[in-house]
Amino acid sequence: MNFIKLAIKNLMRRKMRTMLTVFGVAIAVAALFSLSSFKDGYEKQLTKELDNMGIHILAVPKGCPYEAASLIIHGGVIPKYLSLADLEQVKTMQGVDLATPMLLQQFYKDETPHIVYGINAADMQKLKSWWKVEGRFFSDDEDHVMVIGKNIAEKKNLQIGSTMPFGPNKEPFTIVGILDRTGGQDDEFHFLPLAAAQRVFDKDGLITTIAIRVKDITKISQVGQTLETIPDVQVVTMSQIMGTILNLVGSAQTLLISVIIVAIIICAVGIINTLLMSVNERIREFGMMKALGASGVDIGKLVLIETLFITISGGILGAATSIIASSLIEGFVRGIIPYAPSGQLISSDPQLILLCLAFSVVIGIICGIYPALRSARLTPIGAIRSSYE
Amino acid sequence: MKDAIVINELAKEYVRGSETIHALQNVNFTIQQGEFVAIVGPSGSGKTTLLNLLGCLDRPSRGTITVNGINVSDLPEGKMVKVRRQNIGFIFQSFFLLPTLTVRENIELPLMFSHRKDGNGKIDSILNTVGLEKRADHLPHQLSGGEMQRVAIGRALINEPKIILADEPTGNLDSATAQRIYDLLDSLHKQGLTLIVVTHNMDLAQMAHRVIKLKDGEIAG
Repeated sequence: MNFIKLAIKNLMRRKMRTMLTVFGVAIAVAALFSLSSFKDGYEKQLTKELDNMGIHILAVPKGCPYEAASLIIHGGVIPKYLSLADLEQVKTMQGVDLATPMLLQQFYKDETPHIVYGINAADMQKLKSWWKVEGRFFSDDEDHVMVIGKNIAEKKNLQIGSTMPFGPNKEPFTIVGILDRTGGQDDEFHFLPLAAAQRVFDKDGLITTIAIRVKDITKISQVGQTLETIPDVQVVTMSQIMGTILNLVGSAQTLLISVIIVAIIICAVGIINTLLMSVNERIREFGMMKALGASGVDIGKLVLIETLFITISGGILGAATSIIASSLIEGFVRGIIPYAPSGQLISSDPQLILLCLAFSVVIGIICGIYPALRSARLTPIGAIRSSYE
Repeated sequence: MKDAIVINELAKEYVRGSETIHALQNVNFTIQQGEFVAIVGPSGSGKTTLLNLLGCLDRPSRGTITVNGINVSDLPEGKMVKVRRQNIGFIFQSFFLLPTLTVRENIELPLMFSHRKDGNGKIDSILNTVGLEKRADHLPHQLSGGEMQRVAIGRALINEPKIILADEPTGNLDSATAQRIYDLLDSLHKQGLTLIVVTHNMDLAQMAHRVIKLKDGEIAG
């Protein structure tokens, strides 16, 4: 017989109560685990996604820089445009290594939005040197051809050589290439020659944005300032975009954290309440133990071990559940935050698992200490005799 | 014969609100080693308080208690626990067995608190003494009242105490079962244990060498 065995046997006496308390802790730990792993994963994926763009600066029409930036990496349409003259000006600016025009449009087919990028294929391949294409890329003077992202090809079961009705007028476009999987948003897009996209969407001479690569990466902000001297142009750097997105996500996270803190407090109060109840029910038993030679420290130790068992089991259950259910949780979190990069957001970092278990131990000690002290200080014989005197 | 317990001018007071309750006052007696003493008295006479003090579970307001030569009146808690472990075995009216522990484990429990292991088959020998060797792996709910009290007696013996404090040990038992418990207690006493029984039961009290009567916190005769 030892304290651990006795504690387990005591907990088994009230199976339902023990189980409910363990579930309470598990929920709190799962929430904490998911949120922390999400926070790490999110920043990692966002950085990766922005790096994958291969673009240092975006020049967008004045007026809606952040919406534009977010839409450009996420896909979407903004109602303002730059002209090809702006492009020529940008190209002449000092520090600009490469500047390429992009026209972003969106059309609905089968009630799902399709994002279209009108691009200069040669420039884009320079910016995104990791792009590999099955089939071929188009040249600028071609029309009725397109390259599509891997995800679209898989979802719609499209192959090289397939023709699909495209754009508002449902013109037939032939797929000449399928991009190898990039793991980013590019997997979801349609790429057309710029001129073809301008014609199909009736945006002759207009572009949505200019993607810019600078010669010296340390001079991004200086180049940005120079570019802003062009009247129509507003500049957004990738670090600004990242900062903005993290800010947006930060407020959603603050809300989540508050909810979780409240959940943890409720859970802690619940555990303390359960333990106090069980201590009060067992005053006579503890009295008996003291009479049999247990010290106050022994009784306190027993109560504390019982508490730790509950919280550590809850911790393990919570962490395991959130690892197993991470895709469900990810789906839920994606639904409530304003922007989510592609890729796995919730990752099960072993350090984080340890942190969550440590957290459940700390919760156990905090919740157990008062009931343990209370039970250690009991003067028991009166309680024992009160049952029959 | 040596003194097992010496009580000298013992008093215990409780303060409840503005009122001071004199639970015990001017109590003096000596119990010798190997003696069988019954403490009797009506409810509220101070039996519980005296039992607390004799069992080293509480401290007196005034006076002294000496257990096997150790003055425990103002011992610090740690030392008091040691005196309790080494000298006193408790038996309760309601048995207080832990329901999830087997007979053997219930008997073993005090060893855990005194940080000792079961050496030389001590538990087996106690199971034999209390006649429960065939019930060792049963749980309390599978036992009769008399068997449960025998487990409790076994549990009181495991730390090899010199004094047994029994609190209404037959209060919850029918007379035939009670008789078996008397016999068991009597045989323990004959083996040299000091036996102090707090009881309302006059049959049990009559078996004792001496009866100490308490009334209103004082010894009545």
